[in-house]
Amino acid sequence: MRLTYVIVLLLALIAVVFDHLTSPSSGGAVSPEDFAGACAPCGAPCPSTQTK
Amino acid sequence: MAVASTADATPAIAARRDWLFLSAAFMSAALLAALVLLDGQPASAALIALGFALGVAFFSAEFSFTAAWRRFITRGEAGGLIGTLLLIAVAAVVIVPVAAVVPGFGGAIAPIGPSLIIGAFVFGIGMQLANGCGSGTLYTVGSGAGRMLVALAFFIAGSVIGSLHLPAFLALGGVDPVLASHYLGPWGGLAATLISLAAAAAAVVAIARRRGANYIPTRTMVLGATAIGIISIGVFLAGGHPWSVTFGFTVWGGKIASALGVDLTGAAFWQWPGPKRALADSVLSDTSSLTDFGMIFGAMAAAAATRPFGRTPWPPFKSLLAAALGGLLMGWGARLGFGCNIGAFVGGVASGSLHGWIWFAAALGGCAIGIRLRPYFGLSRE
Repeated sequence: MRLTYVIVLLLALIAVVFDHLTSPSSGGAVSPEDFAGACAPCGAPCPSTQTK
Repeated sequence: MAVASTADATPAIAARRDWLFLSAAFMSAALLAALVLLDGQPASAALIALGFALGVAFFSAEFSFTAAWRRFITRGEAGGLIGTLLLIAVAAVVIVPVAAVVPGFGGAIAPIGPSLIIGAFVFGIGMQLANGCGSGTLYTVGSGAGRMLVALAFFIAGSVIGSLHLPAFLALGGVDPVLASHYLGPWGGLAATLISLAAAAAAVVAIARRRGANYIPTRTMVLGATAIGIISIGVFLAGGHPWSVTFGFTVWGGKIASALGVDLTGAAFWQWPGPKRALADSVLSDTSSLTDFGMIFGAMAAAAATRPFGRTPWPPFKSLLAAALGGLLMGWGARLGFGCNIGAFVGGVASGSLHGWIWFAAALGGCAIGIRLRPYFGLSRE
């Protein structure tokens, strides 16, 4: 199990660093709730704005 | 005598310390913190540090929503549930008023409808099969439980599948979030939240007493709940919203799927502004991912500081199957139910949002089903 952990940890770190260095980073960290119209932690819209 | 015992124990603990994983945990957390600091984001580094502290606190207190709920359902024992309610009360004291009056801060809110109820119910089934919820999965993965690596992988997959289904479930209808502070103001909202927590505590104590079970949380549980509540206030102040866990999993899964050639950009969920930006931006730009990473490394450090890391054998296949199925159900359920025990229940109730209580009731029902299913996978119902 230790070997599995070493491999998973290394792969995860490489993936995170690669993603960070190759993706845009527009300002500070945000949650989906920070965006206009978000009605849930995942950014889903409110029912009142979704229907009709 | 106590001093002598401590002195005797210290070399023993030091001898069991796993320096490889202890240093790996600190260096990994430091690497991620350095990356965000290089981008000039001290708040992001704070979220990693707070997640690290959460991992240590969860591991040290052995804080488990899943076991606490299972003990309440099977034996009527309410100590763990009381500890959870204490955690929420501590967090609510700051979150409800600050979210209501301070610009830039907001509570954990969610629509109330079939999606919430179905998602929470399915999540409850999954958490008993996996033997861990969102936070539980993170800290047990971090502390060296290989079984939970399987649960986490399927949790991530399930949350991506859930993201594709969520818009259809939202179309079934629902009402906008109901927030106590909207109706009662910041202090009235806080009073209503604390009263609701006291009423829930009274109810679970009454059930425990009727079943002749213990309802007093252990000292470790009280200290752990208080510490986690205080740290979650720090997460709220650093991130602007209550602590959440599972959106990070969805982002990780979305990025992995995209890397494998799956085009998610056309899916309705991934066109909403928040998920769209999270998929495109660095994973270190997502607040829940930052605390998730920190929590894994914190639990790893806490575990490696006290014992050899990852030395336990792999569990039987049926147990791994339960972890996989449980993870899948939790991921799917967390997306439809707007989070897990942390984001939906703790965050929701600590924000004074009605959806938190509805999530709790539905997830508790799902737990009852999940507990009945555990023996089919060789797991105890206790």
